[in-house]
Amino acid sequence: MSYYLGLAQLIGIHTLLGLSAYVLMLTGQLSLGQAGFFAIGAYSAGILTVIFELPILPALLAAAVIAAFFAFLVGFPALRVKGLMLVVATIAFGEFVRLFFFNLSWRVPRGDIVVGPDSTNGFREIRYFVANGWSPWEITAFVWTFVILIMAALWWMDRSRAGAVLRAVGEDELATQSVGVNLTAVKVTAMTAGGFIAGIGGALYAHTATYVDHLTFTVLLATFAVSYPILGGLSSVFGTLVAVVFIQGVLVEGLRFMGDWRNIVFGLLIIMAMNLKPSGLFDARTAQVLKRAVGLGAQEKSDA
Amino acid sequence: MLELRGLSKHFGGVRAVDELDITVQEGEIFGLIGPNGSGKSTTINLICGVYQETAGTVRFHEELMNGKPPHQRLRAGIARTFQNIRLFPNLTVWQNLWVAQNSPEDLATQGFLSRWFGATRRTRREIATLLELADLEHKSDELASNLAFGEQRRLEFARAAAARPKLLLLDEPAAGMNRQEIHDLSLRIRRIRDSGVTILLVEHVMELVMGVAEQIAVLNFGQKIASGTPGDVQRNKAVQEAYLGTSDSDAPSLDTGD
Amino acid sequence: MSDFLLEFVEITQTIGDGLFFGTTYALIGIGFSLIFGAMRKLNMTYAAAALAGAYVGLAAFTFINAPAPVVFLISALASGLIGGAVYITCFRFIPINNHLAALMASIGALFFIDEIVVHTTDGSPLTFPALFDDVMFEMGPYGVRGDLLFVLAVNIVSTIGLLYVLYRTRLGLATRAVSQQDVAAQLCGIDVHRTNAITFVLAGLLGGIAGSMTASAVGVLSPLITVPLTVKGLIVSVIGGLGSIPGAIAAGLLVGGLENAFLYFRGVNERDMYVLLLLFVFLIFRPDGLFGSAIDRD
Repeated sequence: MSYYLGLAQLIGIHTLLGLSAYVLMLTGQLSLGQAGFFAIGAYSAGILTVIFELPILPALLAAAVIAAFFAFLVGFPALRVKGLMLVVATIAFGEFVRLFFFNLSWRVPRGDIVVGPDSTNGFREIRYFVANGWSPWEITAFVWTFVILIMAALWWMDRSRAGAVLRAVGEDELATQSVGVNLTAVKVTAMTAGGFIAGIGGALYAHTATYVDHLTFTVLLATFAVSYPILGGLSSVFGTLVAVVFIQGVLVEGLRFMGDWRNIVFGLLIIMAMNLKPSGLFDARTAQVLKRAVGLGAQEKSDA
Repeated sequence: MLELRGLSKHFGGVRAVDELDITVQEGEIFGLIGPNGSGKSTTINLICGVYQETAGTVRFHEELMNGKPPHQRLRAGIARTFQNIRLFPNLTVWQNLWVAQNSPEDLATQGFLSRWFGATRRTRREIATLLELADLEHKSDELASNLAFGEQRRLEFARAAAARPKLLLLDEPAAGMNRQEIHDLSLRIRRIRDSGVTILLVEHVMELVMGVAEQIAVLNFGQKIASGTPGDVQRNKAVQEAYLGTSDSDAPSLDTGD
Repeated sequence: MSDFLLEFVEITQTIGDGLFFGTTYALIGIGFSLIFGAMRKLNMTYAAAALAGAYVGLAAFTFINAPAPVVFLISALASGLIGGAVYITCFRFIPINNHLAALMASIGALFFIDEIVVHTTDGSPLTFPALFDDVMFEMGPYGVRGDLLFVLAVNIVSTIGLLYVLYRTRLGLATRAVSQQDVAAQLCGIDVHRTNAITFVLAGLLGGIAGSMTASAVGVLSPLITVPLTVKGLIVSVIGGLGSIPGAIAAGLLVGGLENAFLYFRGVNERDMYVLLLLFVFLIFRPDGLFGSAIDRD
């Protein structure tokens, strides 16, 4: 059972990672740096519970705020670059963060052991859940509380004018500016929100895994982050969830018999998906057709 | 209300707009014409803040616009349409207008939450009015990309009108239209003007400009070569040369086509 | 000699070695730029394919004991073939204006190639042959390793060869025509797909040379260098100005030299962080790169 609970936690955490890329992707920005914010969240939350001995909830929120703050800082220079240049810049940012933690050593004695990030040896003993006697069920429920909260918030946001504005920016920046939208504010906000969500994901990851090191936060993880919304489509947050369940649950777990070779399948899957359905498995148009088919026209307009 | 003084934009060695002086009076329909590549669209982009000017000033209601980003100029009252219609193709017609709810009244009357996360009754009414004016009520749930060409133009006009602009810049609105559509368009433009909006019309189709504009400026190679009423401009030798490459009096005149 | 002078010699020697190594980065950067120039797309597999080519060369060395020059040749050819295969799987059938899809597909291919390499070699570093590694040239206080000099020579010759192909042959003319105006080029009877495919193979050959030269200069080949080499290649092409070949050369040398300077002053663990910072500095203050505005079409 605890194996499946572990899988459920992983799916929840990867959903948060995917959603952090989803928010940005709505504005047409592809960031391969989400693993960086995830890492900042993971290390910050770990440091807060292990070194500062904070309870999990404040540590987690503080970690999310820290990740969001760095996303905010990255947001401004990132505005100057677009498209493929942004991809390069964010890959570089992610690698920079990874190398930072690769070099970070902050060891503090706690009783008869020494704790804290230990550069290349990673950050061990993030044992808050174990130390406080949380059962796997409780941990899973804790993780999914955040997943559900964030998904609900984004789902609601998507339906609001904010969602329409984010999508408008993604479709045509110049036209959006020309109808009076402050492009800088929108893009930086999206970046910050993405950092916040990735930060929560990272914080949860560090505590469920109890051990993180810089090799967790590579470009591969960042690629996973963007693959979920790309494969699941940008029409709603559920696409991302479905893609995570498919990749982490069905593909990675289902191909367990392939052993370590299954990562190859991930590569092949992306290649195939991009060739067969280059605009994602569910593009906006498909979604619109589907919605109408089940009688759910855009409800937000219904004038009183 | 709009004053361009010594406005210049250079791209490398190319002087796309060169020392341009233009004054648009409140309430008029001002036509800006010129051959291809004469700097008309660049001028619009300078007025809207899409490009940064190399030199010169843009003043709107006496206020200096230089250095202001496009969204601030829109909020000051300058709205535009694009030469090659730029809607948000994967948003519905209704959402296209929703995004554009940035008029000074919107900003003044709505709090952060209702502005971004709710649709107040006023907003719904506003959008309904815009849809009605554009004859698009029945298309409100349609994706913008599914609209016919004429409908897309009307939606773009409505989207610009959503800002309650004082000055509307129309960048070649008649491109790709047939004669009947051009006729409808000129009626629409007059109607917008009569509702109190000043119009700067950049156009290629003489039939439209000569028909609706009260003042005209002619650009060639980024410079103003003539200005005045449609009649003045039509008789101007320099204009005829610019358009036809000759001052031969036998050459066809720039008439309105009817 | 005084301490100061000794240190000066040491620093300049380090930076000089870095410049030698920088020619390899320049080759990788040129490869990214070539493909970006042709299609306005990033081929993320590029460095991985370069190293995979070097692995094929290494297989020839291990199993049939091929001499070093043959190993280098096989590396180049294999990488060229992989380049062609990547074009077909990740670019050929994806709509030309969908940059995102092509980018993602090539990232997928990056992991695919990388995983195959990791699994066939168990991920452990393997010794790679070098030429003239027992030669050392002395120039006053400075020493130049023979193998590095060879790497430098090969890299310069390949760059000149590429420039020759691009600017002096019909094939190069077609490539440049497609990169500047693909529709017009098509109307002139140029087969865009074929030209693009050739560009990929050409870039692949260059990558194979760069890959085998990297491995030969370092002495070992390891899948661990795939991502760092990809990132460095990207950094070089961005700093040089995406799409600009002279830019990639200059930026390759700059990154190579500075990298070794960082290595000298800050140690190996922090070195790459500073190279990344260099990229951010360029993105903020000179986003078009050293050689102007290569990105004019959006």
